[in-house]
Amino acid sequence: MTSRPKMPHRNRWRAAMLTKILMLVTLASSQLARAQSPHDMLVFLSVEGVEMFSASDPLLEVSDVHATADFLYTYNSDRFRFLAEYIWSDTESEMERLQAAWVIDDKNILWLGRFHTISNFWASEYHHGQYMQTSISRPALEEWEDESGPMPSHVTGAWFEHEIASANQSAINLGFAAGLAPRFEGQQLEAFDVLDPESGHDLAATGRLVYRPDVLSANQLGMTVSHNDIAVVSDSHPSLTDLNAIRQATFGVFASWQWEKWRLSSNLVYFDIDMQYNDGTVNDEFLLGYVQAEYEASEEWTIFGRTEFGDSEDDSVYLSLLPGFVAHRQMLGLRWDFANRHGLTLEIADTSLQADTVRHDSFKEVRLQWAAVIR
Amino acid sequence: MLLSITAAWADDTVVLVTSSESPITNISSLEIRKAYLGISVRIAGSTVRPIRQREDDRLNQIFLQSVIAMSQKSYERRLLSMMLKFGTPRPGEADSREGLIKTLQSNPFAIGYMWKSDADSDPRIHAVVVLWQQN
Repeated sequence: MTSRPKMPHRNRWRAAMLTKILMLVTLASSQLARAQSPHDMLVFLSVEGVEMFSASDPLLEVSDVHATADFLYTYNSDRFRFLAEYIWSDTESEMERLQAAWVIDDKNILWLGRFHTISNFWASEYHHGQYMQTSISRPALEEWEDESGPMPSHVTGAWFEHEIASANQSAINLGFAAGLAPRFEGQQLEAFDVLDPESGHDLAATGRLVYRPDVLSANQLGMTVSHNDIAVVSDSHPSLTDLNAIRQATFGVFASWQWEKWRLSSNLVYFDIDMQYNDGTVNDEFLLGYVQAEYEASEEWTIFGRTEFGDSEDDSVYLSLLPGFVAHRQMLGLRWDFANRHGLTLEIADTSLQADTVRHDSFKEVRLQWAAVIR
Repeated sequence: MLLSITAAWADDTVVLVTSSESPITNISSLEIRKAYLGISVRIAGSTVRPIRQREDDRLNQIFLQSVIAMSQKSYERRLLSMMLKFGTPRPGEADSREGLIKTLQSNPFAIGYMWKSDADSDPRIHAVVVLWQQN
C-alpha cells in the first residue's frame, strides 16, 4: 500500500505538532547570506492528506495526514563537494543521503557514500524534494523501498559520473555506481543505514547513460541497467520462508522532455529476477512503466496526469512479496504554485494492487498536498 | 544636452561586471548563461562564480529575459534541481549593489551584472560586456 495505515493517536499528535512547527518555520524563514559562502541549505516541507476508498475491500480504506521536512545541506569547494539529506516526518527520521565527492575536473566526478540509485529515474530527479515533483504520488515503479518499491532506491558505495560534451552543446553523461544493496526484510526492501550499519547487504551495481540534446535545458533521454544481489532475512516474515536470496537485473529506458507548455516524463523497466529458494530457483520476468504528462496552463497552474501499467506484473512472485505495490494507476491532478515557492496540489486516482488469481483489489485515491521550499 | 542623453542611454544598458583586478576580460554570452545555470565555466584555470543582485526588480527581469531566457519560476526550479541532484552550488546573491561590489572584490573570478551607469561611476569594478541595451 503506497499510503500509510491509520496512525495511532500519539502519531496523529506528532503529525499535528510537526505541521504547526513547519508552518512556523515557513513564516519565520529568512534567507541565508549566500554572497560567497561554500555552504548552502534547502528545506523542503510538505503536508499531505490522503483518503482511499474501496468498494471491494474496507481494509484498503485509509485516511491519513502526513507531514515531512527534508533538509538538504551542501558544501562546495573547487575540488570537493559534500551533500547530506535528512528526512524527518511523523513516520520516519532518516539520513537519506550522505555523500562526498572528488570533483576531478569539469567532466568527471567521483562520489562516495550513501546516494539514491542512479537506475531509479524519479529518485535521482526529485530525491525527497516533494515540492520539486509536480505530482504528489510517485510512480509505483519508482517508489521508495519502504513504500513497496520494487527496486533499490539507496546504495552505499561509489558513484562515478563522466560527461562527454560536444560543440553543439549536447552531452552524453555516463554513470557507474556500485555498493551495498538493500536486503529484503519483512515485506519490503531495507536499505543500508549509514547511521545504524548492519551486515547482510550484498552487491548493487548500476549503469546509466543520459543524452541531453542541449545542456542548457533539462530535456533528457536515457537508459539504465542494474544488477542487485538482494539478501533475504528469511525468518523475518512467513512469505520469505525458504527464500535465501533474490538476484535482480533491470534494464530501463526513460525520457523527460519539455516542449513549450507540455512536459512528458516516462520510464519503462524490464525486470529479470531469480528467486533462490532452498529447493531451487524460480525465474520471474515482468515489465513496469508509466507516462506522466503535464500542461503548464499558466505560471501558477499546471494540469497533469499519469498512467502506470505493466506486463506480467500480476503473475510476479517477487511483486507478491510487496503487498503495498500498486500495479496500475490512472491519475489526474491540478497544481497551484503561489507566493514564493509554495505549491498546493490535488490528485485523484483509480488504483489497483497486484491481482490474485481472480481479481484486482481496487481503490480510489484522493490526495491534497501543500509543499514548499525554504532557501 | 549631449551629456544628459548619454547618461539616459547608460541607464538603459545592462553590463556584466567583475572587479577591476579580475583577469576576466572576455566571456561569451553562452559562457555567461552556462555559469548562471549552474554549469561549470573555467577561465584562466579557475571556476567562474556568478552573483545575482536581488535589489533591483527591473534589472533582474532584464537578466532573466536576456541572459537566462527563462521565467523566474523556471530559473529557480532549475537551480534548486541542480542543487538537489548534484549538490551544484547556486549562484551567489547580493542584497545590494554595494554588497555585489564587495563580493566581486573578494573573488577575482566572480561575475555580476548592473546598470552601465553604476558600473561606469565606480572604479572598483569593470564592465566586461554589454548584456542588454534598450533600442
